[in-house]
Amino acid sequence: MKEEISYTAAYEELQRIVVDLEDGEISVDELSDKVKRASELIKICKKKLTSTEQDVNKILKDLEE
Amino acid sequence: MTEKRQVFSLRQVVSSIKKTIEERYQQTYWVKAEMHKLNLYPSGHAFPELVQKENGKVIAQLSGTIWKHHLDKINLKFVQVLKEPIKEGSTLLMEVKINFSEIYGISLAILDIDLNYTLGELQRERQETLSKLHSKGLLNKNQQVPFPLLPQRIAVISADSSKGLSDFMQVLNQNNFNYAFFTYLFPAYLQGDLAAPSIMKQLQRIEKVKHHFDVIVIVRGGGGEVGLSCYNNFELCQAIANSSLPVLTGIGHSTNLTVAEMIAYRNAITPTELADYLIQAFHEFSVPVERSIEKLKNLSTLILEQAKQDFKQQVQLLKSNATTNLKGNRTSWHMLSRQLNAKSILLIERQQHHVHYLQKQLINQAKLHQQAQSKHISDLSDYFIQQARKIVAHYTEQIELQSRHIQMLDPKNVLKRGFSITRYQQKTISQKNVPQKDDLIEIETYDLKIRASVQ
Repeated sequence: MKEEISYTAAYEELQRIVVDLEDGEISVDELSDKVKRASELIKICKKKLTSTEQDVNKILKDLEE
Repeated sequence: MTEKRQVFSLRQVVSSIKKTIEERYQQTYWVKAEMHKLNLYPSGHAFPELVQKENGKVIAQLSGTIWKHHLDKINLKFVQVLKEPIKEGSTLLMEVKINFSEIYGISLAILDIDLNYTLGELQRERQETLSKLHSKGLLNKNQQVPFPLLPQRIAVISADSSKGLSDFMQVLNQNNFNYAFFTYLFPAYLQGDLAAPSIMKQLQRIEKVKHHFDVIVIVRGGGGEVGLSCYNNFELCQAIANSSLPVLTGIGHSTNLTVAEMIAYRNAITPTELADYLIQAFHEFSVPVERSIEKLKNLSTLILEQAKQDFKQQVQLLKSNATTNLKGNRTSWHMLSRQLNAKSILLIERQQHHVHYLQKQLINQAKLHQQAQSKHISDLSDYFIQQARKIVAHYTEQIELQSRHIQMLDPKNVLKRGFSITRYQQKTISQKNVPQKDDLIEIETYDLKIRASVQ
């Protein structure tokens, strides 16, 4: 699982997978991999919705510079 | 030479001036001037500096006086109607009485201020800001800044004490969806003359740390709807337009939209509505994610189900196709073998006929040929016999001729005529066969043979 993927990229990739599924672009052979990938992307998106990792000290430091 | 001089006391002079002025300027006048400074005293009286400028230079200046009871009355009207107290730096149309005080000198006692004129001036400032922004191409600039998928890290320009800020924070932090927001306060004055420079200063600070934030919000509320014309200030609006982050406003009022609100990325009527807007943006991200979970589940099941059915159908199809093919093949084999049989028989019959015919032909031909040959042979044999007879006759004649000739040549015939033949050692005598003396020779005549010896 690529941890460094941005939530924006994760969101877009997830949408693409769903659209491909809806359009019947995904074969039974690919299905398992795609669903696995989608669940990783969903995790990234959900985590982003409910948590922030902002460091106030960093902001203060940057403001003083 | 001393002239008799009339000497006046200062008071006499001042009184005289006062009397002259009061006589000269008995009525009140409407005067247009810029109120440079209000100079409000704790007593409630104000002593504004009034100026007239031309090309930025002061070309006339006079002190003014607004007594407390006038000032209160004017301010009340301003706040009620214009939602603004008297603003320093603005041009006003004032009803004045020219006043001369023995101690403070000449001044304009301000009795009233024309509201409509000030309203027009405010409108004018607003209009001027709009047209300046327009000419610099800044009207839509902030609205074209890309908006993040999740406006999660928020730079808040507000005042600690603002009711608007606490409303905003409450809505954000108590959302039922567990959405996480990060906010950082950049404190500023939110109304009145100090607001524009202080908000601009915070915008500058935020620009420095913009990588920590997704959006900027300006929230205000609960402080009454007074002193909001600062949001029409050109410099402030320009700073908002040029911000590299989207600026969202929620400054809570019910009067006309200010220019800042018009050019911001988005304006919400109240801070609460602004917070709701941000939550809505989270919904717009969250709902498709949630839906994609559902869709993934349903679509995967569907695809698998479909694949299963397809497989089943394929198997059935294969089975029925195979059966049909086998049946079809069997039938066609039968047909083919029957056809082959029939055709073979036909062919054989035809060939037999042909052979019969050929046989007959051959026999006939042979007979004809034989007949022709035998005729030819008998013809030939007749011919041969004739020829042979001719030849025999010829040769018989020849032979007879020859034999007669030969008979004539026979030595006996010569001998008959008296000749003899002498032989030595069985051979006629010749140069090569010469008998010597006493050799025995043989002499043959026609009817005798005589032996003799040589002498």
